Amino acid sequence: MIELINVTRTFPGVETPAVDELTLQINEGELVVLVGPSGCGKTTTLRMINRLIEPTSGSILIDGNPIDAVKPHQLRRRIGYVIQQVGLFPHKTVGENIATVPELLNWKDDDIAARLAQLAATVKLEPELLDRYPSELSGGQRQRVGVARALAADPPILLMDEPFAAVDPIVRAHLQAELIALQDRLHKTIVFVTHDIDEAIKLGDRIAILSDGGHLEQYGPPNEILRDPANLFVADFLGTDRGIKRLSLIPVSAIDLDRGPVVGRGASTAAAQTAMTDYGTDWFAVGEGTELDGWASAADLGPDGVDKVKLEPFRTMLSPKSTLKDALDAVVSSHTSVAAIFDGDRFLGMITADEISAEILR
Amino acid sequence: MTAALFSWPWVFDHLDDIWAQTLEHLWLTTIAVTVGLLISLGLSAYVLHTRKAYGPITWTTGVLYTIPSLALFAFLVPITGLSVLTAEIGLVSYTLLILIRNIVAGIDGVPSSVLEAAVGMGYTRRELFIGVQLPLAMPIIITGVRIAAVTTIGLVTVTALIGQGGLGFFILRGLSLLFSPIGTTQIVVGTVLSVVLALAVDLALVGTQRALTPWARSKEAV
Repeated sequence: MIELINVTRTFPGVETPAVDELTLQINEGELVVLVGPSGCGKTTTLRMINRLIEPTSGSILIDGNPIDAVKPHQLRRRIGYVIQQVGLFPHKTVGENIATVPELLNWKDDDIAARLAQLAATVKLEPELLDRYPSELSGGQRQRVGVARALAADPPILLMDEPFAAVDPIVRAHLQAELIALQDRLHKTIVFVTHDIDEAIKLGDRIAILSDGGHLEQYGPPNEILRDPANLFVADFLGTDRGIKRLSLIPVSAIDLDRGPVVGRGASTAAAQTAMTDYGTDWFAVGEGTELDGWASAADLGPDGVDKVKLEPFRTMLSPKSTLKDALDAVVSSHTSVAAIFDGDRFLGMITADEISAEILR
Repeated sequence: MTAALFSWPWVFDHLDDIWAQTLEHLWLTTIAVTVGLLISLGLSAYVLHTRKAYGPITWTTGVLYTIPSLALFAFLVPITGLSVLTAEIGLVSYTLLILIRNIVAGIDGVPSSVLEAAVGMGYTRRELFIGVQLPLAMPIIITGVRIAAVTTIGLVTVTALIGQGGLGFFILRGLSLLFSPIGTTQIVVGTVLSVVLALAVDLALVGTQRALTPWARSKEAV
């Protein structure tokens, strides 16, 4: 656990503090994102945790111990640090780069070799790259090496300063997904700085929104912040599409699913018409229990019941783990204006645009 | 070069002598550059710690550099005599400016992101200097060493005036026997060999540079 208590940092010659009386608690195993516009003191805050910058006043504790109880270099060897420009050593091979902190801590050669192989797999780096020099790597590979290097000595804490800001959007999305997967396994205490609110929402267990001078405007889970911005600054910073953003955080399983205009196999024309009237649709679906055969539009429904109609398959199928954003996408891009939810091949129900919008407004 | 002015027989009669003076020349140069490099590394480490010192240090070494070598040796002889020490004090003085400038420039050229990452991972100041700053500055430092070595090889000939001199010994003696074939032969031998020595040392240092900086080569290859 990391605790910042009334931390202030003033830089010489600058009147307003870069960080002013910031109090923040980061729990063990939690990924907290510090986000805010440039000049909000987020990087200063991060760098105070590994003492690259010393607070002017206030105190910082890790697991209850003041961080200035040990020498700075000893503190830093127990805290992984990843920066935007990565800062790999050009004169060392990739493997030597990753082994930096274990070397500083005088690990045995065998242990280091074993750890390297493990880390290469962890960050999805081809093992043959370990003998190359950093100048031979792509931007995404360098960033992976940077993460591997930070994880090398298995520190409980990881500080990440805009680590993915310099790579292209596709690689960034990959790296973000890998970080989430990594964190699911490793449960590090991570403090992550970004200016990108979407990145913050995607990654953070909790988000700390900072404004100029390191004022903490709001601190909480992304879903909560998106639903109830504490003030105008936060609402502005989240953007006008915060409702849509929030959808990406809510799983489909959070909603009571409706069965939709589904009639049984062999149902009569009248039954199908009733179902469509009940749900206000111009299409119906056919299925039994957890099996869903497909759908057809009202125009194709003849007088001889649903068995005579050729059914279309549901093209977009979502799982209970899909988000409401996926559901919205499915709704607006399907002919039926609903998203059908399946758990494997079991039909669970349907979501309509109305239900999604009700969730935004909740 | 007419036959009358150059005496091959003299050369063949003095091969042992020539070899000995060449080695002496190389030895005087090696000491000067090595001592100069050690002093410069120490002063550069100090400059990195106390940046304010850089101005005064470059000023002092700059002044040393501008003193004519002849005058410097003349000034030192009453103090340290006609000794190797006198020669080396002069020779070392002339290497300092070039070496310190190159070491500091090389270290200043280390990307700040590399330094930040290193310090952030827990490098101490000393580990940073030895493990990161020096290796990365190596290409520029060796460039400085090359200039210093070539300059020193030229200057060593001047130390013949104070009883040292390596190949300069032949030049000085040749001058005293001017207009005789033996005199001009010695001047030519001393001059040509010191030029050859300079080129050979420079080449060896280029090789050293490539061997010490394998990462720079792989960069070229990409």
